[in-house]
Amino acid sequence: MADPKKARAAFAPWDRRELPGVFTVDESARRVGNYKWIESRLFEVLGGWVATVPELDVKMRLGAHCYHHAWHAELWHKRLPELREMNTDRLTQPANDEIVAFIDAMTEPEAPELTIEKLVGVYRVLIPHKIAAYTYHLNNTSTITDAPTIRSITFILQDEFEDWRDGEMLIQSLIDTPAEVERAAAHQASLEKLMVLAGGVTGPGSIGSPAARIEVVA
Amino acid sequence: MKHALPPEELARDERFVRNSFMARAADPRMAAMPAEKRNQRFPLSPEREDGPDSARALMHGIFTGEIQALEGAGRTCWDFPTGTGADEAPFELKLDMARQCWDEARHCEISVKLGDWMGTEVGEFAESVFLYEAACNPDPVLRLTGVNRALEGLAIDVFNTMREFGIKSGDPVLEFCEDWMLADEVTHVKMGSDWLRRLTADDPDRRARALEFQRVVDKLFSLGGARGEEDDSPIRLARRFRELAGFNTEEIDEIADLSHQSRAELASYQEHAATKQAAAATSEG
Repeated sequence: MADPKKARAAFAPWDRRELPGVFTVDESARRVGNYKWIESRLFEVLGGWVATVPELDVKMRLGAHCYHHAWHAELWHKRLPELREMNTDRLTQPANDEIVAFIDAMTEPEAPELTIEKLVGVYRVLIPHKIAAYTYHLNNTSTITDAPTIRSITFILQDEFEDWRDGEMLIQSLIDTPAEVERAAAHQASLEKLMVLAGGVTGPGSIGSPAARIEVVA
Repeated sequence: MKHALPPEELARDERFVRNSFMARAADPRMAAMPAEKRNQRFPLSPEREDGPDSARALMHGIFTGEIQALEGAGRTCWDFPTGTGADEAPFELKLDMARQCWDEARHCEISVKLGDWMGTEVGEFAESVFLYEAACNPDPVLRLTGVNRALEGLAIDVFNTMREFGIKSGDPVLEFCEDWMLADEVTHVKMGSDWLRRLTADDPDRRARALEFQRVVDKLFSLGGARGEEDDSPIRLARRFRELAGFNTEEIDEIADLSHQSRAELASYQEHAATKQAAAATSEG
């Protein structure tokens, strides 16, 4: 057995975590507030849509996914005070007016024959953008100082990927004709345009910008 | 998407057929029966000739009830702005309702598989939307008392009855699944009780209205006394599980009493319908 008194490095050779990160405490908190806002809107609309979709398998999946996003909102709700934001409502805000317009348009389909539009908005537009924003945060924040956020994002991304796959498979199973392909694509395009105007789920810079100067903090 | 979706707009596929409890009670075939037969009740039992069919019908009722419970919880996430005002729902309440959505979605899945196991097809029995109707109240506290305390309380009684049917009939799959669903329902009832206390702590009038609404729902959905404590009650009041869910003895006694009243009222309603039908037959003859 190795001598327990022998000095060892604080970081094992395989532990490559580093202090530097792109986000300050304030910037991380701002993004977390945007995440909580969007996750809350998403679980609310999924809950509301359950009663409006006639397809039994879709109805039941939306019920399960509603909870996933509520849990994400709860994780962010608990993270905000840890990022020095004691009044959680202050930062539980949309990134900008354009993302509000996007959510309004995404939640508009209500009639029972509009299941394709409902699913396309969530699983072909919003969730891919959430995955992108979460991945950017995960890959750019300090792996030591912001570890609690990283832990939450890791759990959340697992849900997002699985829900994305569920949703995409439901969409594929609902699209039977070229006309329905057009319908899905048209709705996706109209929502994607709104998302572009918003700049992503946390506004411009949601996934960084290759052209922008990146200031590394710490 | 609008807030508050009326029951008639609940989306279903082509297999589902809707019926109301009153339409069932006024079924001319019931009125044509002799009174003693019409008012007969039997505990759900595998020994009875119609036991398996009754269990299949009840299982289908559970399935459609679970769909509506899922829809009701989902609508509570959507219908109210987030906040602590009288016409708002607190963030944490919405989180609980989202969790309930997931639980009810699982119960739908379990019920579909159990129905299949018992030899029933989706849509084989009619659906009445009484559970969702109770979930349409504009006050979130009244929704919680009507659905979580009254109807999820009824679900405790129903699941316990089905669990016992599974034990008596030697069906471990039925017993296993009902036991799991029973655990969830106890949680949902507790959720309703906790939110009732929290949201009405400083508002005794609102609490009184909520409890009155619960009494109305409990009485209406005693299913004409089918759920009760009489020896012949098809669905037995599950006292032990209700206590686990936070009901006290006085509250359970009150539910038993409401069920008794409901049974008497149904008998009287059916008697009246039978008399009317007989009179109509005489005048036609």
